[in-house]
Amino acid sequence: MQISPVDTQNYLLLAATLFCTGMLGVLVRRNALVVFMSIELMLNAANLTFLAAARERLDATGHLAALFVIAVAAAEAAIGLAIVIAVFRNRGTVNVEDIRTMKY
Amino acid sequence: MNAAQLQPYLLTLVVFLPLLGAGLLLFLPREEAGQVRAWTLLAMGVDLALAAVAYLVFDPKGAEFQLEVRRAWSAEFGISYHLGVDGLSVSLVLLTGFLGPVVVLSSWKFIHDRVKEFHISLLLIQAAMMGTLVSLDLVLFYVFFEAMLIPMYLLIGVWGSERRREAAMKFFLYTLFGSLVMLVAILAVYFIGQPAGARSFDYGTIYNSLLSANRQLAACTQGVGCATLSPLALTLQAWGPLMFLAFALAFAIKVPMVPLHTWLPEAHVEAPVAGSIILAGVMLKMGTYGFWRFAIPLFPVAAYQFRPLFVALAVVGIVYGALMCLAQQDVKKLIAYSSVSHLGICMLGIFAFTAEAASGSAYQMLNHGVSSGALFCLFGFLYERRHTRRISDYGGVARVMPFFAASFLVVTFSSIAVPGTNGFVGEFLVLLGTFKASSLWLGYPVLATTTVILGASYMLWMVQRVFFGPIDRPENGGLRDLDLREGLTASAFMVLVLWMGLAPQPFLDRIAPATDRFVARAQLGTPDSAKVKDADVRVTVPPIEGAPPALPQPPVAAVALPR
Amino acid sequence: MDTTWLTKAWANPQALSANLWLIIALPAFGALVCGVFGRALGRTYVNLVACASVLASFCLSVFAFQAVAADPSVIVTPAANGVPMRFALSGDWGVWFQAGSFSAHLGLWVDHLSATMLMVVTGVGFLIHLYSTAYMEHDAGYWRFFAYLNLFMASMLTLVLADNLVLLFVGWEGVGLCSYLLIGFWYTDAANAWAGRKAFIANRVGDCAFLLAMMLLVLTVTAFAKAPGTEPPAVFFAQRRAVWTHAATSEPGPLNFKVLEEFAQYMPANLAMGSRGMLGTDIPIGPLAGHTYGHTLTLVFLLMLLGAAGKSAQLPLYVWLPDAMAGPTPVSALIHAATMVTAGVYLLCRMAPLLVMSPAAMATVAVVGALTALYAALIAFAQDDLKKVLAYSTISQLGYMFLGVGVGFFWGAILHLVTHACFKGCLFLSAGSVMHGNDNEVNIKKLGGLRKEMPWTTACFGIATLAITGIIPLSGFFSKDDILHGALHARLVGYEWVGPTVFAIGSLGALCTAFYMSRAYLLAFTGERSKDAKVPHAHESGWVIVAPLVILAALSIALISHGFPGLLKMPNGEPETLMEAFLKPVFGVADRLAIEAHSLLPEAERSPWPGFGIALLLAWAGGGAAWYLYKRVFPARAGKPAPEVFAAVRAFTVHKFYVDELYDAVLVRPIKLLSIGLFRVVDEGLIDTVLVGGTAWVTARIGSLLRYLQTGDVQAYAAMMAVGLLAGVGYAIFEALAK
Repeated sequence: MQISPVDTQNYLLLAATLFCTGMLGVLVRRNALVVFMSIELMLNAANLTFLAAARERLDATGHLAALFVIAVAAAEAAIGLAIVIAVFRNRGTVNVEDIRTMKY
Repeated sequence: MNAAQLQPYLLTLVVFLPLLGAGLLLFLPREEAGQVRAWTLLAMGVDLALAAVAYLVFDPKGAEFQLEVRRAWSAEFGISYHLGVDGLSVSLVLLTGFLGPVVVLSSWKFIHDRVKEFHISLLLIQAAMMGTLVSLDLVLFYVFFEAMLIPMYLLIGVWGSERRREAAMKFFLYTLFGSLVMLVAILAVYFIGQPAGARSFDYGTIYNSLLSANRQLAACTQGVGCATLSPLALTLQAWGPLMFLAFALAFAIKVPMVPLHTWLPEAHVEAPVAGSIILAGVMLKMGTYGFWRFAIPLFPVAAYQFRPLFVALAVVGIVYGALMCLAQQDVKKLIAYSSVSHLGICMLGIFAFTAEAASGSAYQMLNHGVSSGALFCLFGFLYERRHTRRISDYGGVARVMPFFAASFLVVTFSSIAVPGTNGFVGEFLVLLGTFKASSLWLGYPVLATTTVILGASYMLWMVQRVFFGPIDRPENGGLRDLDLREGLTASAFMVLVLWMGLAPQPFLDRIAPATDRFVARAQLGTPDSAKVKDADVRVTVPPIEGAPPALPQPPVAAVALPR
Repeated sequence: MDTTWLTKAWANPQALSANLWLIIALPAFGALVCGVFGRALGRTYVNLVACASVLASFCLSVFAFQAVAADPSVIVTPAANGVPMRFALSGDWGVWFQAGSFSAHLGLWVDHLSATMLMVVTGVGFLIHLYSTAYMEHDAGYWRFFAYLNLFMASMLTLVLADNLVLLFVGWEGVGLCSYLLIGFWYTDAANAWAGRKAFIANRVGDCAFLLAMMLLVLTVTAFAKAPGTEPPAVFFAQRRAVWTHAATSEPGPLNFKVLEEFAQYMPANLAMGSRGMLGTDIPIGPLAGHTYGHTLTLVFLLMLLGAAGKSAQLPLYVWLPDAMAGPTPVSALIHAATMVTAGVYLLCRMAPLLVMSPAAMATVAVVGALTALYAALIAFAQDDLKKVLAYSTISQLGYMFLGVGVGFFWGAILHLVTHACFKGCLFLSAGSVMHGNDNEVNIKKLGGLRKEMPWTTACFGIATLAITGIIPLSGFFSKDDILHGALHARLVGYEWVGPTVFAIGSLGALCTAFYMSRAYLLAFTGERSKDAKVPHAHESGWVIVAPLVILAALSIALISHGFPGLLKMPNGEPETLMEAFLKPVFGVADRLAIEAHSLLPEAERSPWPGFGIALLLAWAGGGAAWYLYKRVFPARAGKPAPEVFAAVRAFTVHKFYVDELYDAVLVRPIKLLSIGLFRVVDEGLIDTVLVGGTAWVTARIGSLLRYLQTGDVQAYAAMMAVGLLAGVGYAIFEALAK
């Protein structure tokens, strides 16, 4: 039995859903760590879009982009977590609403 | 390697030798102020020698641009390293070269802190000014044009007097604003000039590509052939005025033309002597040079359209600047406003579009470089001794400093254009040429001639208050006259003032071919455009040396900006 | 007696022509040496260099003068085309500057007019240099003084020798410059330096007009030469040069005197073009197109008159000359009496062939001259400063020269210029001698009785006074009264009233001249020594000071030969004066052109003697009145207050009719106030504060509003990004749907 290939559109819909979930998370959650995870979600949504496009177009450029994004995400996670830990040590909280000194 | 083989490298050397000097200074210990000064002086001196060689090698009967060098730089964007000089720029290069050592000598004892950084700044400015004058590629020109700003900003902001920060900031923002607008125009003219792939920032290439469109447009303003304008001409018709104004704004700020002049008095007042000399001597001429080289030739039709405005502003500048001088209490501010007046004469000469006026204007640029440079330099010597700029703090100085007073008087007479000094020849030719410009209202040159009276009144008023009368302040009684270094600097200026006044023709000979071409290019936008022959205005563009063979490019139409 | 040596040139004209520049270069070199090395050289050598350079220049000038005067071609001979030839030395040292179609040459020439001027300038100049060596012997700034004085000689000689207007302008401004330096020579007194500046500015007002006149002239001549269809040949500028001069070089430029004269030749020609020839036709091309040649020339000469008025201290620009007396007295004698101030007269005479094209301009010149002559004489009535009296008298006498020029009596003006240089130079030098012997006292009321103490000075001053008042048989009589005679008989077409009017004004002026000069003489030299005198006894000056006085006084007598009517006979039997005959080669052209252009019509020659009789009567009357008042009336009334009306008039006159105050209130202060107002309101207020500062202010305000968007809340930023993203997506969808 031949499995019919999944339509690209479905991948894109999934990616959009993931992206929106991530975005919502970034916007509404207060915990910095959760915000981080939401960002990862958005990045992966982007990855999925790239890969879907690569599959559709039958070339490898999308893979390349996805690999880049993964690398960037890893770096970002490392630095971001380091910042979060530093902030926690200084202020004893990771609630983003409490960290708003950089204002007018 | 013989002399002929060296020629292509001459301009590169002129431009980058000061930079080399600056690099050398980096390795000197900062305590060794004497060494720093000596090396700077040496670098400037050699640069002057090279500039003089370039001036002498330049053949007035030869090609328009000489000593050209054009190398591949960034081929895909059409940028090349293209240097070359015509009669005007080689004269200005010589002027810049001359002022280099003078600047170093004039601040020999004046600057005490951050001596090394100061001299590095001087050398950087020198390189940038030279580069601006010899660049024949718009990007190169722009880079050098902007590069002048930074060291000048430092010069005013770090080594200036009390209100230096504000003045430096004002100077920087003012000029930067103008040149950013110009950058947009440079990009625009790059995009419309040629189709993609053939685009180039080269001055000659751009000029030649706009030539026929400009011709069509000029004919159209006479009502001929408006229906058959090429796409490029249509683009120029719609956007030419804006591009011209963008260029003009940058240069008008630099000149400066009234009412964009208020940065100048402040910058002059706050700048150290060296800064004032460079600013008045060369940097202001970048504005007039820009009009001469870029704004008017590239957009002759728009230039003709806006000519009444610019002529009026120039005349207003002449009279207004002179009136401002009468109201000043501060010597440096007075000289600064006199620059506004004198540069007004240059602008009037440029926008008169006649050979006499253009020659006069070019000569006036040199004159103003010498005479106002000398005024600032000489006043610097006095300021070093008394540390005040107020006119009323002086009086009777001639008694204690006779040689200084004599030199200052000679330069003053040059500044007010007494015949026999250099100032007269320039002013006379500009006025004559403006009279000859048949399409201009005769009232303009008549008003401009009042500078003869006003100039004498404010300069002699200042001289009177500073030098003559009794010594009524004890501080002035003990001033010592110029020492050897200062005396030599002053004498150099005096010799030039008289030399350029009594035997101007050798200088004018070099300027003449550039003048003829400029006038022809400017005429292209006037009703007389049909009389201008292509051969007189087209720029000969040399091929790029060492460029990879051009890849075949798909012909794509030039971007037509929306109309 | 063998007189052939007189009628042959002593020096080879070719060689002289080639070395004309030396006449200028020698004093210039002297100035350089005195100015740069003067202090090191010491007094003796400075004196030597200064005097020797001028003397050498004088000797060269004598040769040049003699060559011009003696050459047989002096006689006016109509050339083939009717243009009278004239002999002149001329040299050309190439292009001075050139641009477009304009060029100015470094060309010098000596014709009869400039030869006359040369003699005056170098001759009087040398005498005054000699005089100055004694006069300035106690002044520490002697080297500066001689440097300036030599520089002045060089400039003045440039003015005189220049063969084109631009080079003339170099000398013109150069003498103004030296005058500025010399008036303010004792600059530690601020008033002196201010006087120098005032002189320079007043001159500059004139120079501005002069520049404008030159520009207009260039436009006119160029338009004429380049106009299509008019008669002048293409070689217009270049032609004739070889005929007139020894040097045939490139195109001499439109402001060359020969070119201008040639241009003038074409103006009245071809009467078919209308009753006034070319003068009535429109200029065809150029910026002046549409104006007639005649009107343009009138404008040119009105402007040139203003220029000349600045230099020659005529109404309305005379105000600087009295103040210029702040300079050392030899300077007043040389610059402000004998030479520089006559430059205006020289200029107008030089332009005579063109000047006669415009009767309107000539009438203006004559009226300005006449009014100045009278006006300055009136002010001189009440001056107590001996030098001020002489200054106003100079203004007045220059007025007579202008009057002469204005009525087309050019040779008379030049003759008066020459005689005036002698007697006024003598008067000033005598005044200097008086100051030298009286501890610099210049107030004539505090002198008195010098006749016994300074006999030589008194004698010379007396002779010169008689000369200026016009007592026969001294030179001033004929030179002044020739002019007045000429004025009475001049008929300026369209301005017939001018001649008799200026004659009347001039005669009144002559009466006043006799009065105030006699007053000065009587008060200063006769009677008893004043009780207010600075030194109880004056002493006569040394021979170095007296000798120039004597020579000038002698010349004031001897020069009568040149104005004495009827010494020569014209070919048609009419009497002619020596001066008229001598200058005929120069002014003959102008006279002929004046007739051709119908601007100045000659009247039948009338005997001048009745007029001379009246003049003599006036001179005696003026002198007699002065004698009566100051020797009889005032001494008798000593101690009593003057009548009120008289006192008021006197105050008004003493204050020079309040003209300085008027200029100050009408011109100087308003301009100063205007500039300060503009600076405060427009420059600092409008442009710098409102526009420039305003831009910065608005930018700062916008920034301070926008900064409230910067909440510091990460999620707020994220929300903004999300909104932006959604807006972008929404737009894309909308676009897609729209297609």
